[in-house]
Order: sequence, then C-alpha cells, then structure tokens
Amino acid sequence: STPLQSPTEVFQALQRLHMTIFSQSVSPCGKFLAAGNNYGQIAIFSLSAALSSEAKEESKKPVVTFQAHDGPVYSMVSTDRHLLSAGDGEVKAWLWAEILKKGCKELWRRQPPYRTSLEVPEINALLLVPKENSLILAGGDCQLHTMDLETGTFTRALRGHTDYIHCLALRERSPEVLSGGEDGAVRLWDLRTVREVQTIEVYKHEECSRPHNGRWIGCLATDSDWMVCGGGPALTLWHLRSSTPTTIFPMRAPQKHVTFYQDLILSAGQGRCVNHWQLSGELKAQVPGSSPGLLSLSLNQQPAAPECKVLTVAGSSCRVDVFTNLGYRAFSLSF
Amino acid sequence: MSSESSKKRKPKVIRSDGAPAEGKRNRSDTEQEGKYYSEEAEVDLRDPGRDYELYKYTCQELQRLMAEIQDLKSRGGKDMAIEIEERRIQSCVHFMTLKKLNRLAHIRLKKGRDQTHEAKQKVDAYHLQLQNLLYEVMHLQKEITKCLEFKSKHEEIDLVSLEEFYKEAPPDISKAEVTMGDPHQQTLARLDWELEQRKRLAEKYRECLSNKEKILKEIEVKKEYLSSLQPRLNSIMQASLPVQEYLFMPFDQAHKQYETARHLPPPLYVLFVQATAYGQACAHMKSSSQPPRQDKTLSVAIEGSVDEAKALFKPPEDSQDDESDSDAEEEQTTKRRRPTLGVQLDDKRKEMLKRHPLSVLLDLKCKDDSVLHLTFYYLMNLNIMTVKAKVTTATELITPISAGDLLSPDSVLSCLYPGDHGKKTPNPANQYQFDKVGILTLRDYVLDLGHPYLWVQKLGGLHFPKEQPQHTVIADHSLSASHMETTMKLLKTRVQSRLALHKQFASLEHGIVPVTSDCQYLFPAKVVSRLVKWVTIAHEDYMDLHFTKDIVEAGLAGDTNLYYMALVERGTAKLQAAVVLNPGYSSIPPIFQLCLNWKGEKTNSNDDNIRAMESEVNVCYKELCGPRPSHQLLTNQLQRLCVLLDVYLETESHDDSVEGPKEFPQEKMCLRLFRGPSRMKPFKYNHPQGFFSHR
Repeated sequence: STPLQSPTEVFQALQRLHMTIFSQSVSPCGKFLAAGNNYGQIAIFSLSAALSSEAKEESKKPVVTFQAHDGPVYSMVSTDRHLLSAGDGEVKAWLWAEILKKGCKELWRRQPPYRTSLEVPEINALLLVPKENSLILAGGDCQLHTMDLETGTFTRALRGHTDYIHCLALRERSPEVLSGGEDGAVRLWDLRTVREVQTIEVYKHEECSRPHNGRWIGCLATDSDWMVCGGGPALTLWHLRSSTPTTIFPMRAPQKHVTFYQDLILSAGQGRCVNHWQLSGELKAQVPGSSPGLLSLSLNQQPAAPECKVLTVAGSSCRVDVFTNLGYRAFSLSF
Repeated sequence: MSSESSKKRKPKVIRSDGAPAEGKRNRSDTEQEGKYYSEEAEVDLRDPGRDYELYKYTCQELQRLMAEIQDLKSRGGKDMAIEIEERRIQSCVHFMTLKKLNRLAHIRLKKGRDQTHEAKQKVDAYHLQLQNLLYEVMHLQKEITKCLEFKSKHEEIDLVSLEEFYKEAPPDISKAEVTMGDPHQQTLARLDWELEQRKRLAEKYRECLSNKEKILKEIEVKKEYLSSLQPRLNSIMQASLPVQEYLFMPFDQAHKQYETARHLPPPLYVLFVQATAYGQACAHMKSSSQPPRQDKTLSVAIEGSVDEAKALFKPPEDSQDDESDSDAEEEQTTKRRRPTLGVQLDDKRKEMLKRHPLSVLLDLKCKDDSVLHLTFYYLMNLNIMTVKAKVTTATELITPISAGDLLSPDSVLSCLYPGDHGKKTPNPANQYQFDKVGILTLRDYVLDLGHPYLWVQKLGGLHFPKEQPQHTVIADHSLSASHMETTMKLLKTRVQSRLALHKQFASLEHGIVPVTSDCQYLFPAKVVSRLVKWVTIAHEDYMDLHFTKDIVEAGLAGDTNLYYMALVERGTAKLQAAVVLNPGYSSIPPIFQLCLNWKGEKTNSNDDNIRAMESEVNVCYKELCGPRPSHQLLTNQLQRLCVLLDVYLETESHDDSVEGPKEFPQEKMCLRLFRGPSRMKPFKYNHPQGFFSHR
C-alpha cells in the first residue's frame, strides 16, 4: 500500500482503523443494509448492488453515510417503514424511504424517562413487539422501557436488573421478553402483568460459570422453550420451563451475539470466526471473517428480496463481512 | 521599255513592205529638222473610242476582203488576178490603218504607264509622309503618357493638412487668393511652406546638436570630478566601516553581496533575491510593531568562490581548444584508458553531479534563538537545487540516544510538505542522464549533495511539470515568491517541533514524562503507571512486530517515519507501545500500537479495551494537543497512556475464584465500570471533577 501523507488522510485512516460496527439492520425491502459505528455514523449499503454480477469496488462502499448520534450506535431495528437507531440514551427514527437522500433528517427522537444521572445511560438493545406495535429499549439504566410506536409514549418500565442490560429476546408465542445483563442474570418478563416471571442466574451454575471472564450475559436468543445465552459464562442452551442448562458449547472466547438458524445455532464474539453449532453441542464449522472481534450477526430473511438472502457479520473493524452461503465469506462491505 | 518596244517594232518593220516605214522614218527625220510632227501629240487629239471603232471596222473589212480573196481564189481563173490585186491593195490600206492604230495603242500604253508610274510615285511619297506623321503622333502620345505618369518627389512628402497650412503659413507663402482656386499653385505653395518649415527645423537640430555637445562636455568634466571623488569616498567608506558595524547597518556588506549575487546561477539568484526580500519584509513588519530590533529572523549570504563562478562564464574558445586537445590526447591514449572504463564513468558521474561553485546560505532564526542553517546548492548539469540543513541551538543540547535522527541533516527536513522526502530527483529529465552514466537513483548521493526537496526547487523558481517535460526550465520569481512565506513558516515550525521533541526525548529516556504545567489539567494528579523505556527502533523491526500489522496495512508505516518503542509498567503489567513518529509531527500525530503483557498477551485483536486505548491516543489526540503549536503532543499521549493503563488495570473485574486481594485496587473514581456491548472501560477523564467516564 502507498504511504499516506497529508494530515487529513492520516486522520481518516486512523479513524477507520479504530472503527467498531456495533449494529446492523436490513431494510424492509431486503435490499439495503444499515450499519452503525462507534462514531455515531450510520452507513447504508446496497446489498443488491454488491451482490449483483457486475458489482464493482464502489458498490461495496456505503450508498450514503450520515451522522446519526453523538455517541456509538449500539442498536438498530427496522419496522416496515422506519429504521430505529439507538445508542447514547436516545432512540431516533429514520424513514427508509428517504434515508438514501442526502441530508436526511430524523423523523423523531425519544428519550426514555431516566433518573437523573451524571452520565446519560446508553441503550444497548432494541426489540420490536409486533403484536402490540411497541418497542422495548434496554441498556444503561438497568430497566426495560416499552414504547408505544403509535403514540411515541413510554408505557412501561420493567425493573429488576442490578447492572446494565446487554441484550433482549422476544418469545414468539406468549408476550414474554427475555433480557440478559451485566449482572449475570437472564430475566423473563411478562408484558401483560409487567412482572418478572423467571430469573436464571447463569454464573451460579457451575458447569457454565467462568469467573475469570466475569458474570455478564452478552447475548441471548430464544426459540419456543429453548434459550441460548453467552458472555462471560460459557455459551449454554437452556430449557426454559425447567431452568436447566442442556448443552454447554465448548467455546473459550466470550460470545457477543447468538442466533438460532434452522437446526443450527450461530454465534460470534471474541475472535475472527462465526461458529456454527449443532444443538447437541458439536462445533459444526468455524468460518473466519475479516474482523478480529465480532459483535453482530444479521440474517437477511426478507421475503421481498430472496436474491439478497445473506448473513452479514460486523465487529471491531470498519468492514461488514457478507456470507452468501454459510460456508465462507464472500466479500466485505466497508465504511 | 523603249528597247522592248523597238524590238517589237523591228520585226514589224521587216514584215512590212518597208515603204511606209521608210517614209515614216523619213518623216520623223524631217519633223526633227523642220516641221515638228509628233505622233504622241496626235494621240492626245484622238479619241480612243473612235480608234477602237475604227479598228473593229478595219478588221471586219479585212476579214471580208480575205474571205473574198479566198472565194475568188477558190473559183480560180485568170481574170481573177486583177480583182485579187485590187483587193490586196485595199487590204494593204487596211493593214496600214491597223499598223497606225497599233502604234497609237503602243504610245497610249506607254503614256498610260508613265502616268500610272508618276501617280504611283506620288502616292508612295504621300504614304511615306503619312507614316512619318503617324510615327510622330505615336511618339508624342507616348511622351504625353510619360508626362502623365511622372511621379513627382513632392508626392512622397507628407504635407501639413490644408486647413493647417492656411492657418499657419504666412500670407506671402500661402497667397490664398491665387492658390485657393488653383491646385497646382496651391501645392507649390504648400511645398514652399514645407521647405520653410524644414529649414527652420534643421536650424533647430543644429542648435540642439551644439547644445548636446556642450552638455556632453559638461558631463565629461563632472565625471572627471566624480572619478576623482571615488578614492576619497572609498577612504571614507573604509573609515566608516567600524561605525557601520557598531550601529548594525551592514550597507557595505549588502552591497558586496549583491555584487557577488550577479554571478549566481539563475535559480540560486531567484532564491537569493526572494529570500532577501522576504527577510527584509519580515524585519519591516517587526520594526513597525516593535522598536527596531537588530537581529533579523532571516539572513541570507552567499558562499563560495566568485572567481570559479566567473571562470564558468569565460568564452568557450579555450574550452573548445581544450576539448580538441583532449580529443587528440584521447586518441593517443585510448589504449591506455580502455582498461579503466570504470574510472572514466566515475569521472562522468562526478561531472554530472557537479555543483555550482557558489551556494546560498540561509539562516533562519527561531524564537528560542536556535538557528536553522540551510545551504542551497545548484547542480548545474542536472538543473536541480539541493539543500543541506543544520540546526544549532542557543544552549548546548545533551543529545539523547533516541533523538539521534531528529536533528540529523538527513531527516530534519524530510516531508516538510506531504510526501516530499527529497530522495528522488524532481527533474524528470535527469533519469535519462543517469541512465547514461549508470546512476540508479539520486538517493545514494543525497548525503553528499544535499536533498533535492520539491520545495527547494520552488524556492528557486524551478517547476518541473510531471505531465509535459520541458526542455528549458526557467527560474521563475513569482513561483519562488508564492512559496517563500509558507515554506519559511513550515521550516520554523519543523525546527521548533524537532527541538521540542528533542527536549522531550531527553526526559523520556530517563523515564520521566515531561508534562508541562499548562497540560496538567488533562490528567489526574495521581498516575501510577510509569514509563520505563523509550528507545528508537528500526523501520524493519517495527514492521516485524506482531501487533503493528494494522498500521502497516493501512499504509501508515512509510520509511520516512521515525520509529520508537515505549514501555509502560505498573506492577506485573507491562505495556509495550510501538510508536510511529511522522515527520509532519505535530500536525500528524504519533501513532501508538499497544501490546499488554498481563494475564496473557493482550492486543487490539483480542481485547476491545486495548483497541479503545489505542483509539484514545491515536484518534482522540486533538484533546491532548495542549496549547498551540501543540509540540507537547507526544508527551501528553504518553502520559495519557499511563493513565489509560491505570484505568485498565484498576477496573479489571476481579476473578472471584482467585484467592487474595486484587493486585490493582481501584483508586480512580469511576461512574460505571463497563458500558455498551463491547464492555468499554471508563477511559475518559473529566477535569476538574476528577472522575472517569465513558466516551
């Protein structure tokens, strides 16, 4: 590579070098991917252009990049019209239809009712509850806030965590939400009664506890009666009704994202690889990406764009790796 | 004609009976003697028409008679003879008449001929006369056209316009009443006026000439006076030198310099003039705002032998002779020289890289009395300029080992402008010259010749466009002037930043991070981690480190940078920091790559917080710059690194399974220990409250 010379070139290179992509979200049409980084920028990539047969180097660059937040963009979700992004204590909504235009302004912004504090608590996770058209926000203030997307008002606050919340997961059938936090507990909340239903303190189970990594639960996914979570403790598959760990996945590095995919569990965290697990605990495959650490996986399963059905993975680099098939990394999108 | 007629007549006479002919002659004889008879005269009296009638009649009679004779003869008989005789006599008479008529016809013919001849002669004479006249006419016409076409000299003379003429000319020349109607007279008058005027001007001219002569003589006298003054002035000058020196007014010196400057090659001359001008401008600006100061920030001088420079411009005859001599010599000694081809090539190289004997010396004084000495050279055959740099300081510097390259002539000016490392020739034409003598790159010679930085060429007004190599590159004053101020400022900044680094290095080597008082607010009062090592490392060693790959791949580890290794320690934790120092410090920050040895090896690839620490010093460097011109950046970055290590170690979650107290008890005040999905530690220091928070 040719040496960089001017101060701005060097500064930009350093910025890219120290970039972390925290969150991703696929547009409702399935053709665009939004990625948010630690500088508060959101970049929109065109998956259809990057995946097309005549894709060039430029099509792997963002279609548009804009400054969305002052702090890192920790989480993003998409409704059928909006892109919701959150990070530094605020959630902002952007219209997907206008996001590709230059100078796009946010549609609205909301801040959950925080108790005053020296530091504005961050929002680590967003979760859509389609049935009641609401959004659950969780993060630094150790509470789950539900927001009615219709009116934009905060309706409930679920209190119980003793440290900040990392992740959320929705149970499909019953209106129950799972949350995992820095305090090492996975809590199950009933949205109707606004009460904590069940608590699993993962670090207290000897088989999955790893004290040198800490207690924190960094990732969480659920499928019917099953729940998988990981973080400081080992990645573990739980049977929710009986609150027992069924499978402990042999992965030393803390995991930051986990998801069910068909009969597999995909997980990623410290280290370059996306891990494919059988439910039995067998490591089926480790597919290397381009970042030294991974923070988010996103499966594009929008029925509107079957040609863009890909897995995208991002983490502590300015690149979003694209897997057209789970077996290997096809290419990377880059900020 | 008369002879002819006589010839004709003769046979007639013979054929005739003779008597009438005899008689006739006789008669003519008698006519001549006495009574004049002229047949010629008779001709005039007779009518030719009648004669013709007579002739016709006679001929008819003859024919009749002949026919009768023939008739008679054919009839035959004796009695016929008389009748035939009678008829013969009649015929004879007719013949006589015919003869007479013939004579008359002859005379008439002759007469006619004579008349015709006479008339013809007359006509000829008239014709001749006519032709003469025609010729004369033609000649005259030619003369007329010649006259008409004649160009008079006066047409070429530019005359004053008519109005002016009538206005200015005296009436005795203009004679308006005569000349108004007559253009010829008018022209004559105007010519007269012109002549008059010219005469007057000639008179004036002569006067002026004499005047000039007079003035010249005066000048001569004054010159003599002045030249007699020169030695006296010289002696006064000589006497005033100590006074000048005493008063810091180096007029004499400047004068001498300008004298020498005339022998500079064009680029050096441009540099000299522009640098002097810039220096004076700076001095003026200073003196206008402050009381006049004697020390100038920029002083310009010329070094080298003027005689050698003069020798370069000697007429080339000698050298040609030399050449032919040497050619001859070469022929003689080719055999001897061939084995030493390498030596020959060496000579050629030396010749190609030859410097002009004169060089321009620029002393740039910085605020702290350190001086940057720049010596500019001109490579005559390559048409490029080079510079050698040296920094001197007011006080003797203790040179730290790691600061070896900071002020070295080779690197002190490297990349003054981005990418200008001064190891390649800026003149594209040079490469072809090098190929001839086997020079691979100028890089091998820069230590000896000086560096051909691009800005040096620009200060000398040399511009080498990359797209279209030019044959002749002309030293351009405006180019030099447009770059002078920026370059001088950059040079000053560079020297100051290097000296500042130099000073910092001296402390760093002894494990002291020299945070200045005006930067103290950036850090908490208590910093436990200590810098224990600060050493310079080679570029190759840096490239070989396992935790610097990202920087190398991003193209941030060029070979013009300087490389260092710092070691920060706290207890059992050892933090290695590989530092890239860009020559553009401090506008380009030093770049840190970290490797922490504590409970295993932690780098940015396996620990997000190490990555965050790097980003704190590399990306958020702007808050560490301190007061402008932010020369303290490196020190502040290192101190920040110590603080970051403290935070990192103190906030590390305690492993409950391990016995005993934490190695690093938390002393820093933190609002929260972790934040966000990547569990960042609170690295941001908040002044003046003194607590740490997340960015």
